[in-house]
Amino acid sequence: MLLLIGAFTIGLILALLAFGVFISFRIFAFPDITADGSITLGGAVAGVLLAAHVHPALATAAAFGAGTLAGATTGILHTRFKINGLLSGILVMTALYSVNLHIMGKSNLPLMSERTLASMADTAIHGWTGRAMLQVMGWEVSSRDAGVLALALVAAIVVGTLLYVFLRTNLGTAMQAAGDSPQMIRALGVNVDNMIVLGLALSNGLIAMSGGLLVQYQGFADVQMGIGMVVWGLASIIIGEALVGVRDIGFVITGAVMGSVLFRLIVAVALRGGLDPNDLKLVTALFVFIALVLPTLVTRMKRKAIVTT
Amino acid sequence: MLELNRLYKTFSAGTPNEVRALRGVDLTIDPGSFVIVIGTNGSGKSTLLNAVAGGFLVDSGTIRLDGADITAWPEHRRAALIGRVFQNPFSGTAPSMSIAENLALAARRGRPRGLGWALTRSMRGEFRDRVRRLNMRLEERLDNPIGSLSGGQRQALTLLMASWLKPKLLLLDEHTAALDPKSADQVIRLSDDIVRGDKLTTLMVTHSMQQAAQMGDRLVMMHRGAVIHDFHGAEKQRLRADDLLNRFEEVRRAEQLDESAAEMLRRLYV
Repeated sequence: MLLLIGAFTIGLILALLAFGVFISFRIFAFPDITADGSITLGGAVAGVLLAAHVHPALATAAAFGAGTLAGATTGILHTRFKINGLLSGILVMTALYSVNLHIMGKSNLPLMSERTLASMADTAIHGWTGRAMLQVMGWEVSSRDAGVLALALVAAIVVGTLLYVFLRTNLGTAMQAAGDSPQMIRALGVNVDNMIVLGLALSNGLIAMSGGLLVQYQGFADVQMGIGMVVWGLASIIIGEALVGVRDIGFVITGAVMGSVLFRLIVAVALRGGLDPNDLKLVTALFVFIALVLPTLVTRMKRKAIVTT
Repeated sequence: MLELNRLYKTFSAGTPNEVRALRGVDLTIDPGSFVIVIGTNGSGKSTLLNAVAGGFLVDSGTIRLDGADITAWPEHRRAALIGRVFQNPFSGTAPSMSIAENLALAARRGRPRGLGWALTRSMRGEFRDRVRRLNMRLEERLDNPIGSLSGGQRQALTLLMASWLKPKLLLLDEHTAALDPKSADQVIRLSDDIVRGDKLTTLMVTHSMQQAAQMGDRLVMMHRGAVIHDFHGAEKQRLRADDLLNRFEEVRRAEQLDESAAEMLRRLYV
């Protein structure tokens, strides 16, 4: 049960990462590697502020702000200096490694004894139910775990809804069009370069916020925590699209959350079932490969079935 | 409304691929005038439209639109004054977004885009009405993605979008060239209706001599980056497609004469 709750919680926290990757990858078709650096940046900024006893909500907001700066940098490198998108992301991600080390001062920053959103949720649940351990469907769950799960759920729902609403505004629709048909939207008066910078800033802001929440859940910030995270985000989106389709922006956003949680559940079960943690990234890559190839295979098989009947 | 003064533009200057696309183009267009632009291949007619729209900056010369000097303005800034339909039916619309969303985007051409709701119920009503006038049954499919429509339907919508806010200048860049004859005819008739109905100042580039003869109140013929003929008023009305073809032949013959004369002189004296 603890396994499931943990997987759910991390899955929901990383849904924000999926939202960020959705903006850069699906809206702008921009393979943004900055994510690996900005999620760590968010964790580092939040971690350092929390260790300095800043209010956790403020620390998380600061993580978002730091992410927007990183994303804007990538955007400016691409639009102003005409550097290839992939390369721009790699440059910023590489630079962020040193930046994150400087921010944290060391490679690992413990947070268990600090006041974080997790500890605040723990206190809240404890105060509300008067108990340190809860009974959920016959299982014993600590108030901290229950609290963080509830927090992650609220975060995913609130941010997801805000993102949906934003994409329905004039600015949001213009941003979608900038990624879909830059020539058209330029002829309608929109500065495409500005849209790209804004989109990448928003994207990495969300990713960094995800990192900020993650370190509060984990209880530590680590300078290596971002490695391979962009693949995680991509996988969540692809799984989500396979589950709920791409018809509506609302569906895709919901799908991203589901995909993130499902992916994390599968990994948790695999690890429990004996998967060597060293093989985790390999399995992740394999899984994303299958998720990418499966839709095409399924369509091909369906087509063959139609032809042969 | 539109004043073009000594426009020069050379692409890839100094290289073997150098193209002198515009060589001192002068053109003044009155408000409400419907100007057709024709020319030989490489005459610079599409380049001219692109220069006015802001796809690139000219090397020298000035462009004034509705009194403002837009010569140095970037494309998206000029878009506040200009409506544009491209030759490629896929360039004027966003394929993954719905018809309604595309129209909503067009309805804010040149206006600031903030956090206001993009598609309101009252807008939907207006969209349905105006799309119904296209007579393509598209008003029932407002939420379908534009990518599912045919080229003719997309061009019709692009035309509607470009003229939605009555632009100061409408640029039509061979917008029926990539369509089948039936769709092309539909779109041309639609173009005529819209331009006349809204009295839009229009610059239309076309390859079709028939369109050139039948439409517009002024005809400009270009060759090698400059304007060589300019017909308006009664003279334009009298023009037939054959007359235009003859003009093209004249140009070609004059050119051949120049070339063969140069060749002969070279052989005799060099």
